[in-house]
Amino acid sequence: MPALKVTDLNTSFRTDDGVVRAVSGVSFELDQGQTLGVVGESGSGKSVTFLSVMGLLDPRQAQITGSVQLEGEELLGASNARLRQLRGRKIGMIFQDPMTSLNPVKSIGWQLEEAVLIHHDVSRKDARQRAVEILKQVEIPRAEQRIDDYPHQFSGGMRQRVMIAMALINNPEILIADEPTTALDVTTQAQILRLMKDLQSEYRMAIVMITHDLGVVAELANDVIVMYGGKVVEQSNVDDLFAKPEMPYTWGLLGSLPRLNSTSARLEQIPGQPPSLLNPPSGCPFHPRCEFVMNICRQELPALEASVQGEGHRFRCHLDDEARTRIWNQKRAALGAEETAA
Amino acid sequence: MRRKQLISLFMLVLGASLLVAAMAVAAASGSTARAGHAAAAKGGTLKLNESNEDFDYVDPQIAYRTDDWAMLNTVGMPLVGFPEKSGTAGTQLYPVGATAFPTVSKDGKTYTFHIRPGMKFSDGSPVTAAAYQRAFERTLSPKMGSPVGVNIGLQDEIVGADAFFNGKASTISGISAKGNTLTVKLTKANATFVSQMGMQWFTATKPNLPYTSQGVQTFPSAGPYYIASRDPGRSTVLKRNPYYKGPRPANPDEIVFTPNVDPDQSLLQVKSGASDLDLVGNVPTSSASLAQQYGVNKSRFKVGPTACMSYISMNNSRPPFDNVALRKAVNWAVDRPAQVRLLGAYAGKRTDQILVPGVPGYKPYNVYALKGADVAKAKQVGGSAIASAPEINFVHTTSQSSTNRAQVVEYNLKQVGFKVKDVPTPATTFYQVVGARNTTYNMTSNGGWCADYFDPYDFINVLFDGRKIQANNNPFYSYFNNASFNKQMDAAAQLSGSARANAYAKLDQELMVKYAPVVPYLVINDHFLTSARLKNWIYSAYFGEPYFNALAVG
Amino acid sequence: MTHFLIRRIFWAIFLFLVATIITYLIFWVIPTNPAQLAAGHAASPEFLASIKHRLHLDKPIYIQYFYFLQNLVIHGSLGRSFLNQQSVDSIIGKDAPVTASLVFGGAVLWLSLSVPIGIISALRPRSVTDRLTMTFVLIGISAHPVWIGLILSFVFGYKLHITPIAGYCNFIPGTAGAQCEGPVQWAYHMILPWITFMILFAALYVRLIRANVIETMSEDYVRTARAKGASQRRVMIHHVLRNSLLPVVTILGMDLGLALGGAIFTETVFNLPGLGNQVIRAYGANDLPIITGVVVFSTCCVIVFNLIVDVTYGFLDPRIRMS
Repeated sequence: MPALKVTDLNTSFRTDDGVVRAVSGVSFELDQGQTLGVVGESGSGKSVTFLSVMGLLDPRQAQITGSVQLEGEELLGASNARLRQLRGRKIGMIFQDPMTSLNPVKSIGWQLEEAVLIHHDVSRKDARQRAVEILKQVEIPRAEQRIDDYPHQFSGGMRQRVMIAMALINNPEILIADEPTTALDVTTQAQILRLMKDLQSEYRMAIVMITHDLGVVAELANDVIVMYGGKVVEQSNVDDLFAKPEMPYTWGLLGSLPRLNSTSARLEQIPGQPPSLLNPPSGCPFHPRCEFVMNICRQELPALEASVQGEGHRFRCHLDDEARTRIWNQKRAALGAEETAA
Repeated sequence: MRRKQLISLFMLVLGASLLVAAMAVAAASGSTARAGHAAAAKGGTLKLNESNEDFDYVDPQIAYRTDDWAMLNTVGMPLVGFPEKSGTAGTQLYPVGATAFPTVSKDGKTYTFHIRPGMKFSDGSPVTAAAYQRAFERTLSPKMGSPVGVNIGLQDEIVGADAFFNGKASTISGISAKGNTLTVKLTKANATFVSQMGMQWFTATKPNLPYTSQGVQTFPSAGPYYIASRDPGRSTVLKRNPYYKGPRPANPDEIVFTPNVDPDQSLLQVKSGASDLDLVGNVPTSSASLAQQYGVNKSRFKVGPTACMSYISMNNSRPPFDNVALRKAVNWAVDRPAQVRLLGAYAGKRTDQILVPGVPGYKPYNVYALKGADVAKAKQVGGSAIASAPEINFVHTTSQSSTNRAQVVEYNLKQVGFKVKDVPTPATTFYQVVGARNTTYNMTSNGGWCADYFDPYDFINVLFDGRKIQANNNPFYSYFNNASFNKQMDAAAQLSGSARANAYAKLDQELMVKYAPVVPYLVINDHFLTSARLKNWIYSAYFGEPYFNALAVG
Repeated sequence: MTHFLIRRIFWAIFLFLVATIITYLIFWVIPTNPAQLAAGHAASPEFLASIKHRLHLDKPIYIQYFYFLQNLVIHGSLGRSFLNQQSVDSIIGKDAPVTASLVFGGAVLWLSLSVPIGIISALRPRSVTDRLTMTFVLIGISAHPVWIGLILSFVFGYKLHITPIAGYCNFIPGTAGAQCEGPVQWAYHMILPWITFMILFAALYVRLIRANVIETMSEDYVRTARAKGASQRRVMIHHVLRNSLLPVVTILGMDLGLALGGAIFTETVFNLPGLGNQVIRAYGANDLPIITGVVVFSTCCVIVFNLIVDVTYGFLDPRIRMS
């Protein structure tokens, strides 16, 4: 049984201007101990997907349909009380900005203890002991002393460690990390990623790594979902995706990936703006920005079809196999030439 | 966070319990209030409000407002005073602290008072002539800095007073006190002197009451009451003087004054019986409905005249009103009933003379139009001078009531053909504008005068003696100065008794018929709502108040 | 800490000088004649001059100001009233507790009303409760305190006999001449003034608290708390309330210091012998020493309350405490 199974998830928001379809028809599975990378630009629906999974969206504004199963238990439609039991216990979540994600007027010890006390009937003393322990595990130096400090006394990287500690303090099955390194500097990013890797092997939890950075995915993930305009546009295991991406948007993402051995100062960027979710483009959501756009792209949404490589690799594109192979080979050659020139 | 919760919980509980406690008290005190009282003339606490004001001083030798005086009369024992009687009887001076009116020497300069024997202060000490000597000294002492004596020119009236006032002598040489005999020597004969002695300053004062420019708040007094406590801005409490054995009434056990009450709230309190009376009177706009409900002077709504007269002043020293024909024309042109109507129901009685009812010499006569403007007559009296008159600078303060009043007068003037320029002036500068001798003002509707003492001198001589005009700060803005009239006033001031009254009656009439220096239009009324329990209403036109010591709440 | 204190003290002195100089300047610009008031309506020029001399009104305004400072610094005295020669120190000493009891009592009421209402309407924005409370807010902001006071007096005092119509009783018994005294009578007479004061401010605070709570509820750390599995109640109490009430503490501190403004109307309507009542009468009589005294006192209040706010803020917000 997969740790998390999401089927045909749709999330829409009622706003004053109309209905925003933030997530449409998202399906995926996550097995125990595995890591799923979720890639996309801001507004692609990747965060909303997992806020929907967590039940953290305001039910008065968000409408969610489909199915979310945690170890076989359906979460959509579950009672608030049940959801509260699962949140923080079975699923931990950490967020993008560690500067604002901790309550500024409570000590980090208090916040960690709270996470324990919500789910376990233990004394505050025991909770504190557990908090010190987990702080040590996320490599906070002098954890016993620093536990009484307040968030503003920690650096960004340290705060993200605290967030991770808080998410893992109850040994969850799944950790959802929503762009955990975006707000951090490069060295700190690397440390945090290494820490997550280490902790995963120790705690054996599944991780969902939401990111816009394919480099992070390459380092951590087993499987990848690429999201665009609220839809899954490509889905694959990580090796296949990097070996032969099938979708022009994924090509764009790979083009914008920095390479350590490249002297090219500018990264290749995908021209244009992400689509409006309020008035989504007709047909394929990527067509206004796609350099290979055809008439059919403007009219029909391509189905999420399996590639020639097999069922595990699915994507949405109207280009035929031959065209995609030709274009990808050209792209790869251009990227490779750049590397060689360096 | 636990503390935080505790604090908010505490505040909620505190707030709620304060309210609940207060409501409980409300219910309890409500029931006692309904328990009722046995009817008796004496006893009880008389509760008096003063809306928007307080006594500024209660020191008898510094106090200078009629409400101060009305209260001081309740505690005081002046040499002469007004009896606690209604109507005209109440305006006749009688010897109070003295056994009789003073004996006057042939040259009219030496007055001898015999002090009533056996009187005592509220601390039990005896009242002798020295008590009255002290009153003169405290009125004039430079250490007191009191304005009152100077304002009636007392330092020039009594022998040696000027030297004392200027700090050159430690006593007033013209005053001597031996046992119960008080002798006062005047610099010149002055028939007004006895009337002046009716003022509250000349009340029995403990000979050791100190000189202080700040005034005393409580002090032993010899009248029916004494000031038991005084907290400026909060309360003044009078209690019955246990040593007072005289005939003056002393009905309530206690009289409590509550100052600075909002006028609307005060009316509600008197209506509901929480207070017995507001000394300042009811809100003018409420008079009509109160009269409808209670009638006038029938039960709880009281209306009575005061010794205050309102007038429209003209500047007699400048064109165009140096022309007597134009002054008379204005007296015809002004719509007096309209002016009185502006002040609300029962505001007062229309008048066209200077003296007010009750003052000796008052005789009603009717020279000008009391029933409304007489445009034809005004045009006829003014003649061609109206058209050729320069534009009139009509100065008035900027309050709503003052502006309204000015607008009506200006309309009346234009009706007969005057050219008028409206000059609204803030109250803060108004008196500087009209009080300067070389002022450019021609006319103002802000004139008014209240008697300091109940004598025609205080109206005619004080307001119209042009020899007193000074460069600045003139309290009288008609700038009327007529040599022959000055002589007549001097002569009348020397007379006494009925001769005096007759002489002033003649002067009062002659002033308006012959000179018309101002436009008198109103003798102001005071109007009061009383509580249902208030009895024995004896009203004094001089104080503009009932006698507090006579009121009964028992 | 020393540095902080020194800066504070200099700031206080500066504020004090600015406030008093402005008071003197206004007094100087408005053409008035307080000596005339003190001397009576028919004073001779000589007598008027002697009064002016005694009150130092014959000196230029800056010399008068200098005398004021000298008197304050050397004798610690605010002088005496022009009008009735009472000591300004004792006037303020007597009146300040009245104003304080109005302001603090009112503050307790308005906080205990506006905190729950603000939270309820923030939890259910656009609901019927929210709209009703916003109507209440609008009425509270629009209505004049005198009007509110008179209506309350008329209904509860005059018609229903639940409360007194107006008046004040000392909290501490034993004042000579007091007609009523003691905590119970005091509270009984303060009900309507408190409610008037409460209506005046509760409106503003409901709006403020509602906005703050709504804003705080969208904070990231609130989402974190919910992701931990915290219940709505726990989220509100431990994460939303304290953070959203922090700005309220600042505003409350300023309002308490400046409450004299609101107290003026409430005190005059209900005949409370407080500073507001005193200053209105002093203004009418051009009684500069009293006006200046009250200005000095309220400046000190503002300074002290600002200090209290800073200290409290440090206590409530660790970010301030540490730095």
